[in-house]
Amino acid sequence: MAEEELYFSPSPHIKSKTTVPWVMRQVFLALLPAAVGSGYFFGFRYVFPSILISILACLGFETLDCLIFKKPLTIYDGSALVTGMLLGLSLPPGSPFWIALVGSGAAIILGKQMFGGLGQNIFNPALVGRAVLLISWPKAMTTWMARPPFALLPGAEGAEVVTTATPLTINQMNGFPFLQELDPQILKHLFLGQVPGSIGETSVLLLLLGFLYLLWRGVVSWHIPLTFFGGLSLVVLLGGESLFFHLLAGGAIMGGCFMATDYVTSPMTRRGQLIFGLGAGAITGIIRLLGNYPEGVTFGILIMNATVPLLDRILPPQFGGEKR
Amino acid sequence: MKTKTFPGGVHPPTYKEITAHKQIEVFPFPERLVLPLIQHTGAPLEPIVKKGDAVKRGQKIADVDAFVTAPLHASCSGKISSIEEWFHPVRGKCLAIVLENDGSSEEERRNPLPISEIENQQPQFLREWLREGGMVGLGGAAFPTHVKVSPPAGKNIEFLIINGAECEPYLTCDQRLMLEEISKIGIGLRILARASGASRVLVGIEDNKPEVIARWEEFSPHLPLPVEIVPLKTKYPQGSEKHLIRAILNREVPSGGLPLDVGVVVNNVQTTWAIGRMAEEGLPLIDRVITVSGDAIAQPKNLKVPIGSLLEDIIPFCGGVREPLKKVVMGGPMMGIAQVSLSVPVIKGTSGFLFFQSVWEKKEYPCIRCARCVNSCPMNLIPSWLARLSEFEAFEEAKAARALDCIECGACAYQCPAGIPLVQLIKLAKSEIIRSSRKGGD
Ligand code: SF4
Ligand code: SF4
Repeated sequence: MAEEELYFSPSPHIKSKTTVPWVMRQVFLALLPAAVGSGYFFGFRYVFPSILISILACLGFETLDCLIFKKPLTIYDGSALVTGMLLGLSLPPGSPFWIALVGSGAAIILGKQMFGGLGQNIFNPALVGRAVLLISWPKAMTTWMARPPFALLPGAEGAEVVTTATPLTINQMNGFPFLQELDPQILKHLFLGQVPGSIGETSVLLLLLGFLYLLWRGVVSWHIPLTFFGGLSLVVLLGGESLFFHLLAGGAIMGGCFMATDYVTSPMTRRGQLIFGLGAGAITGIIRLLGNYPEGVTFGILIMNATVPLLDRILPPQFGGEKR
Repeated sequence: MKTKTFPGGVHPPTYKEITAHKQIEVFPFPERLVLPLIQHTGAPLEPIVKKGDAVKRGQKIADVDAFVTAPLHASCSGKISSIEEWFHPVRGKCLAIVLENDGSSEEERRNPLPISEIENQQPQFLREWLREGGMVGLGGAAFPTHVKVSPPAGKNIEFLIINGAECEPYLTCDQRLMLEEISKIGIGLRILARASGASRVLVGIEDNKPEVIARWEEFSPHLPLPVEIVPLKTKYPQGSEKHLIRAILNREVPSGGLPLDVGVVVNNVQTTWAIGRMAEEGLPLIDRVITVSGDAIAQPKNLKVPIGSLLEDIIPFCGGVREPLKKVVMGGPMMGIAQVSLSVPVIKGTSGFLFFQSVWEKKEYPCIRCARCVNSCPMNLIPSWLARLSEFEAFEEAKAARALDCIECGACAYQCPAGIPLVQLIKLAKSEIIRSSRKGGD
């Protein structure tokens, strides 16, 4: 061989197999159980259009943005895929198709591309999409469907689906004892996913399955989820409400395990992550207990997203300390 | 086995199985040896021979009047055919002494040391003896050994740590030496303990080499001084001085400081072996053991080679290259240096040559802030942030973010899923910081 062909590059000369698309694929895979499960809980035709439209629209909007601004096409990095999936799973089942469409536009354009694309955005794109929808179309975003075999069905024998309130709303309006009267096995149903709620957020079991997969693959660490649940628990206990209920209900598991752990919008140091998780969990709890919205995960995490640039400036302790 | 370690670090595949069970082979003297005048950290050497001179194996051929340096010796007998610019594995090119082998076995043995008398020698005598032998650290950094074991006034060396971690993937030369020639390492260890004044001696070995640990356990009771064998978790960069000390003694070398500042001196196992050999045989540092490995070399080997052997001569001895050869690296794959020429010589700091059929590049993406670099950095840095600052030429800020603490181990860049050349960017920031502090300093 000719020497001129020897390849020169800086060390290290070996690299791990982990790549950005691989990471995104793992997150997508981890969300699949919840996505498929939602079809079982709500009926495939009430959930799959939303999920599919979200994913395709997120990919589409990013492609569009790249074309318009003449940037290299970035959809193969897989991040739009994950955003679309997360957004789709956070919509109410049976919501109109344009909800998914508008949400995707907000997520990708407002939430990501306007900041400069992957890695540059401050706020979790899927949550930006959801927040925009919540504020602009509160009715569409809080119309919840339920169907047999859900226990929480307001006297609608025979109907295939009915609209109802989520456990969090009932809890906020009537208190937990009332909820327990309606469904004595509410905690079990929350765990399995047989309650009204967002498409992919109801089944604690399936979400945890995905989360355990990510832990095993080393894609996420326990730091943010654990402190998130810690912060939420603290507020709930101080407020004197049912701890288990709040941990299992609404978007707590989805938020703590999948939204708050988004790499781009969470801190990079362990210390920062602990503060971030604690803060996001606590704010979620405060909104749930004191706010007008029954659910606080979206804003809890978005608010803490804003503190990340600050948290990232707290350097880890110096190896060897100061020069002696 | 109970093992010690440090926080951070990464677990690359070790690839050591390729050569771990191959006995050290002796590379025969080639026809020509090239000895660059830069062999180590410290003052560059000046030749004390000239073109046409006949020299004996072991004869001093270059030296300089400085403390932080070590002389260079002829690694075979022969004639100086020229002193000219030559390829250098680290510097690109530098002045080198070219030696034609005359095939005779004339030697100059000046440095034997009575083994039984080691503990009665004056430390100062031993330090000078080490310098005269051209002894430098053979782990890669090539820092002159006599400097290492000379604590400045007011500082004491309490611990001598023998570094047998060999944490770089592929490399197995140290491992083989510990298995095949441990008695020489034992002699070197005694000399280092005496020269440095250390009262405790510890040997650190990664737990992926259980047969080496067993060999030490069996051997150390025969030494006239107590030696503690410390099994370490297999993790990169366990062999970094600072992290070896952190793992074994739970002490942290202060930022900008030396192991001396925490009462420790660390010496690589091969350096220790070379010292023992110098004491026994009376020849200075003129050869060393290297590992030749990778998927693009036909017969990977552990080889004892004279310093100055050219890579192009070593390749045929290892069965030739296995095409397509894409990349050649001197040293380990994590910190080694890519070579642009096959005419580079083995220098004192050469721990091996690796031949690769692939270039191991990752597609580059924007940083996704995954924190893998942060979690793997053994120096508690935020590599992605430092790289960012370097890109924006914000070198003052990079300094405040402790860029100078970076040991360039490559753990961060190894892990990064976005394929960002973190080490390269941080190195750039470091050199800019050092340059501007020099400018501002006077
Ligand atoms: S490992 Fe790479 S992608 Fe991840 S935070 Fe560090 S620089 Fe960014
Ligand atoms: S920043 Fe420096 S010390 Fe830290 S992992 Fe990267 S190369 Fe190693």
